[in-house]
Amino acid sequence: MRMRRIVGIAALAAGMGFAPAWAARGITVKGSDTMVILGQRWAESYMNSHPGSVIQVTGGGSGTGIAALINGTTDICQASRPMKDDEKRKLRDRYQTMGTEIPVAKDGLSIYVHESNPVKDLSIAQLRQIYTGQVTSWKALGGADAPIILYGRENNSGTYVYFKDNVLLGADYSARVQTLPGTAAVVNAVGRDPNGIGYGGAAYARGVRECAVKKDAGSPAITPNAATVQDGSYPITRLLYLYTRTKPAGPVKQFVDWVLSAEGQKLASQVGYFPVR
Amino acid sequence: MANGSRNRTTVGSLAGLALVLMTRITAAQDADSLSAQKLLDRVQALEEQTQTHQSDLDKLKRFKFSGYIQARWETAEFADDSVKVAGSPAVITPANDQRFYIRRGRFKLTYDASPLSQAVIYFDGNTAGSNRNVTLLEAYLTLMDPWTTDHRHHLTAGQFNIPFGWEIERSSSLRELPERSRAENVLFNGERDRGIKLVNPWTPKIETVVSVLNGYGINDTNFPTIDPTAAKDWTARARYIGGTLDFSASYYDGHTTIPLTGEDLETRKTRIGGDAQFYYELPSAGGGSLRGEVYVGENLNADSVRVLVAPPTSANPVTLLRPGADPSHLDTEFNGGYVMWVQNLGEKFQFASRYDWFDPNTDLDHDQYERVSLGVNWFYDGFTRVTVAYDVPKTDLLVGAGYEDPKDNLWTVQLQHKW
Repeated sequence: MRMRRIVGIAALAAGMGFAPAWAARGITVKGSDTMVILGQRWAESYMNSHPGSVIQVTGGGSGTGIAALINGTTDICQASRPMKDDEKRKLRDRYQTMGTEIPVAKDGLSIYVHESNPVKDLSIAQLRQIYTGQVTSWKALGGADAPIILYGRENNSGTYVYFKDNVLLGADYSARVQTLPGTAAVVNAVGRDPNGIGYGGAAYARGVRECAVKKDAGSPAITPNAATVQDGSYPITRLLYLYTRTKPAGPVKQFVDWVLSAEGQKLASQVGYFPVR
Repeated sequence: MANGSRNRTTVGSLAGLALVLMTRITAAQDADSLSAQKLLDRVQALEEQTQTHQSDLDKLKRFKFSGYIQARWETAEFADDSVKVAGSPAVITPANDQRFYIRRGRFKLTYDASPLSQAVIYFDGNTAGSNRNVTLLEAYLTLMDPWTTDHRHHLTAGQFNIPFGWEIERSSSLRELPERSRAENVLFNGERDRGIKLVNPWTPKIETVVSVLNGYGINDTNFPTIDPTAAKDWTARARYIGGTLDFSASYYDGHTTIPLTGEDLETRKTRIGGDAQFYYELPSAGGGSLRGEVYVGENLNADSVRVLVAPPTSANPVTLLRPGADPSHLDTEFNGGYVMWVQNLGEKFQFASRYDWFDPNTDLDHDQYERVSLGVNWFYDGFTRVTVAYDVPKTDLLVGAGYEDPKDNLWTVQLQHKW
């Protein structure tokens, strides 16, 4: 009798829980603020060409998107950096999988300065010195005798992590960095601040100047554009990713396949990123 | 003349009108620029306010609160039986066979002061035992090394999980079955001790941990807060982290003190452990894993203590070895472990199964504990899950001239919310 009661409760729970999440509310995509416009354009175009499909895209940062993927509140995570080991472990703890990583676009991480700033190029080492607080005046870089005002992203941002890992080589950001909630906010702040410097996706560079970047002091200064990002000569080139908990299936797979199709990749180029195929 | 005068009047009127209009336009422009200036001032004031709030928020973000609650209903499969067998040697608890209780109510506060230091304090409030107070589970501080860019080498001091094997340090909120294996419960009761530990991830795939501990875990009844021996226990573990395959080897060395009237006795306490976890993905079902862990070594045997040590009585309030007892028989060689299979069934369901065993004295028969556990987890949302588990323990209890396995199968239904 007692066993029948317990089996009954289990059966009721089973009936309530078997349907996949996307069947009830469409596909949800969450994560990178860098990719939010790209994701929205993909979703709009996909929904137009696939009547009846529903895709909701929100930002919040790569870290937020990965957390949502782990706790099951999004079907797809957009991330502008690879998942960290501890994030993979959390995903594995819950789903017994390492997640599926799908590179969907390339991006040149631009260095923004004010349009009036006379400094035309910076090396990776100089950027590291600037953002770790070792160089604090534009004068030391051939610019005006003025303090460098640092703008950056919050630590849940994939761009923040990518810049830290690949430009600062893991070193800590200077405490003087003013953190802002999105790349658009960084561009806006630098656009109004003659002494400002910021970093973010190439697609956002409006009303600011993109500073050319040198791999080291003796290398040529390269500006981010389709050719330099595609051939990897621009030193701060990164991949943008979609992540799913397991290998994509059903409507999620159809959407991912479409993103990787010629149509989806063309849209990535139109938004300001670079195709991976 | 009249026409000329009219013309002059008209021109004068127009000039006057133009003057008035110009004055008004200038005034309006002044007003516009004034309001634009006001707007700019307001924006700047708001920006300053936002920066202050951001600065305050950054300070608050150093505090992280997390925790979970496990509300549980347990029932013995057989109404005329007791709830469970617990402890070593096995003790049948003659309690109510159906009950609600709070198995774990955990609250953790982490303070990330800087990239180089961190403090954690962790409490538990539960009604599993007679203690219904909030207890301190963990309190430690961690220093991260300043010489690597990712500060990956850690030194921790305080009260923390014993760094041995795999299941000890894995949070109960993540475990697929309600309880850890029996061997772990007996050998590392409470899972935590006080001391220091050094964690060194030499590469992303290789990590070593060494620790020095009091040796009396937080659930020790004799020495819950002190260490009667100057010599400390120590542990070492080396782990390979491959992602789909992880494994480690662990070692623990120390002593156990048996408090007697007069000079106390000491026995060896050693544990050698090995564990492995393999992960895979099935196309239609989802992820799954196979895991296993073994423990072997020497341990104080509670059966031996009961037989060889005479407890205090009101007539003779001393604790002494019984006449003729051989102290070397107080500790015995043991072995224990588990093998486990977990399979996700879609995103909402998970099936778990485990066989675990513990033999407290490998030289003796009929003292082994074995258990088969089955469980299903239903993930209600990202934070809440329901677990239905069924445990089938097998123990030999002396009944008359023979041994019997008591009817102590157990159903557990648990609701967990984690934040």
